Amino acid sequence: MPTYDELRAAADEAWKAVAAPPRPLFVVSINTSSLASGVDETLAALRKLSDAGAGFDVMQTGDTGFAWAEPVVQVVKPGGQAVLYGHVSPDRAEAFAKAALGGIATDHAIGVVSGTAPGVPALDSLDWMKIQTRWIMHNCGVIDPEQIDHYIARGGYAPFLAATKLTPEELINVVKGSTLRGHSGSFFSTGTKWDFLRTATAEPKYLVCNADEGDPGAWVNRVVMESDPHMLLEGLLLAAHASGATYGWIYIRDEYPLAIARVTRAIEQCRERGIFGADALGTGVTFDAEVVRGAGSYVCGDETGLISSVNDERGMPRIKPPFPAQSGVLGKPTNVNNVETYACATTLMRLGGEQYSTVGTETNRGTKMFTVSGRVARTGCIEVPFGTKVRDLLAAVGGIAGGRPWKAMQQGGPLSGVLPAHIAADLPLEPEPFRPLGAGMGGGGIVFLDETSCIVDLNVMTSWFVEDESCARCTTCRIGNQRMLEILRRASRGEGAATDVDRMKSLAASMQNSNCFHGQLSPVMINNTLQFFREEYEAHALEHRCPAKVCAGLIRYRVASQHDGVEAAAAICPTSAIVRDGDAWSIDDGRCIRCDACRDVADGDIVIEDRYTDVIPLRVAAPADVARAGG
Amino acid sequence: MPDNEATLEIQHLVRDLKPGDGDLLAALHRVQHRYGYVPAMAMGVVAKQLRLSEARVYGAATFYSEFRLTPPPRTLIGWCSGPACRLKGGEHIRGVLEAELGIGMGENTEGDAIGLHLAQCNGTCEHAPQVWIDGKVVGPLSAADTVRLVRGLKEEA
Repeated sequence: MPTYDELRAAADEAWKAVAAPPRPLFVVSINTSSLASGVDETLAALRKLSDAGAGFDVMQTGDTGFAWAEPVVQVVKPGGQAVLYGHVSPDRAEAFAKAALGGIATDHAIGVVSGTAPGVPALDSLDWMKIQTRWIMHNCGVIDPEQIDHYIARGGYAPFLAATKLTPEELINVVKGSTLRGHSGSFFSTGTKWDFLRTATAEPKYLVCNADEGDPGAWVNRVVMESDPHMLLEGLLLAAHASGATYGWIYIRDEYPLAIARVTRAIEQCRERGIFGADALGTGVTFDAEVVRGAGSYVCGDETGLISSVNDERGMPRIKPPFPAQSGVLGKPTNVNNVETYACATTLMRLGGEQYSTVGTETNRGTKMFTVSGRVARTGCIEVPFGTKVRDLLAAVGGIAGGRPWKAMQQGGPLSGVLPAHIAADLPLEPEPFRPLGAGMGGGGIVFLDETSCIVDLNVMTSWFVEDESCARCTTCRIGNQRMLEILRRASRGEGAATDVDRMKSLAASMQNSNCFHGQLSPVMINNTLQFFREEYEAHALEHRCPAKVCAGLIRYRVASQHDGVEAAAAICPTSAIVRDGDAWSIDDGRCIRCDACRDVADGDIVIEDRYTDVIPLRVAAPADVARAGG
Repeated sequence: MPDNEATLEIQHLVRDLKPGDGDLLAALHRVQHRYGYVPAMAMGVVAKQLRLSEARVYGAATFYSEFRLTPPPRTLIGWCSGPACRLKGGEHIRGVLEAELGIGMGENTEGDAIGLHLAQCNGTCEHAPQVWIDGKVVGPLSAADTVRLVRGLKEEA
């Protein structure tokens, strides 16, 4: 097998074609987001031009994080000028190529990566980038994720080599000293976890990488795997050296086929070059890994659920102890971390503890990746120092779309909660400040809500999700979530009862007795809602009114003016609910499913109004009133 | 295809997978990749290969939402159930899909022409609200767009 120096020499040679290309190089971002924007056709169009002698070369890269600008293409010129372009849709690919070759494709320019380009701002001067410290993402959108040479040329696997000069205890102390904790949302000390495995007595020892990123609205792990799979594999090697583990399973969710393909390929490349297998790069570390393809189960994100799933069982979390470090995959000591955590370990060893400590907070040094979506101007993935204020994050993504008022933030998936804007704005992004609010920061997904969004409707969605994804082992979680969902659905239809809030609080309390986090944290969203959005909840449940006019059971559609547009609306209506009587159109409320298709074609002619306008609101009896009435 | 021939084919499909090696998900994925679903008889073959009870294989196949136990439709519409889609009218789209096709989530239209699948967020939220037609993201969609899309698919079907 080749030595590291030999690998590095070959890699440097291969990287020259990217760092100093002999003719213009078009670097096309191929990732799940860009594929959704049709980049496969953009790539084909550019390749065709290149093959036809247009005088440029084409290379693929992973994810720049600029989901809002996909398809994204970076053009590197021989003189060293590199410009990042966005929105290179297939139909504009040819015109774009011509403009970019001749000078600057002004219509598409996002920012200058290196060199100068008149009229185009420096990429790092954009709000989107200014806030970021791209350490974990340092190869994202830079290298071809399917070329191990690119990774090695950018310094890859050198941190592992250096780390093997340390004893496992020394390496663990470095990791502990860095404050690195699980980026999945658990924020348990990574070094401590690795030490649990190191001191376990049984052999062999195993590693599991949790890439079952199931939080709706989170895709940070996808970005890492699709853009820089070797950074994850190097993190596994570091954990292997620290703990003595010899084999690993990377459990990737079924929804990420490209990540599965790229990580699988990266593993093969490691085997071919002697980085995986016996005596990795002559260091004495022996490690290999395989990809397990998930099949759609949220509770597999719990580490014991994940282990059950790898063990040929239903992915049901089990009772601890024994902890995975004592008995995990195949009954052997096992350590589970997620993708970003392993990648962060690589980042730590690449930068060194001193530099790693230069950003972040005292308790949480370094950076965290976030994916931002919902009602924001720009959807995408960014990496910021721990402690960054939520308001600054929101400003960096262009604020709320259309300049509407910001209402709330739903962070970290359905188990982490929802917070109103006035509280969220000054929260630093690190786990501790969220806890006194009865919420969590979660693993990186952040969904922003504006005034058009209904908190009760979002709660119905998240309650449905956690009920549907319960493994059903614990009665508290299985039945508790069913009851919660029933109550919320009733409330969203205006059929709330005065006693519901007490009932929900009682259910939430009993759900704390569930075995795993899924059951324990399922009520977080509802607790947050009752605490921070009580008025909005009561408007639904007791006053039969959805203030945002979203909840289907509390609104109705009415033909407000008999213009021609209504005829088109009648044609688009999927339930033929818009009916004509003589010259007058009206809506048959019994047939109307509130799908809004009519307003898409006849906005203004058809309006939404409160369904109930003459109902006397129920009044919630305060506990003192109940006591008096009873006594 | 006669049963014994299918049995041989599935045996061949999973021949390198081993008992006690964490291979059950891989086996079920291979079967579904080949047939578009996991036929009941395949579970017996997989169970034998991995030395598991058929009940355990069935338990896993039904636990995970991505395994189908019935043949897939010719056109599969995945509806994204994620939060960004929800905030931007995902429920409207679900209503249109179900009303236009006359089926619920997880069902196929007559003759397995078009089916609806409840999909989980894959993080392509810049296209919210969206559906996936045979795995390809289509969005952002208005409700009216969705009506036109489904009517077009019905004509082609």
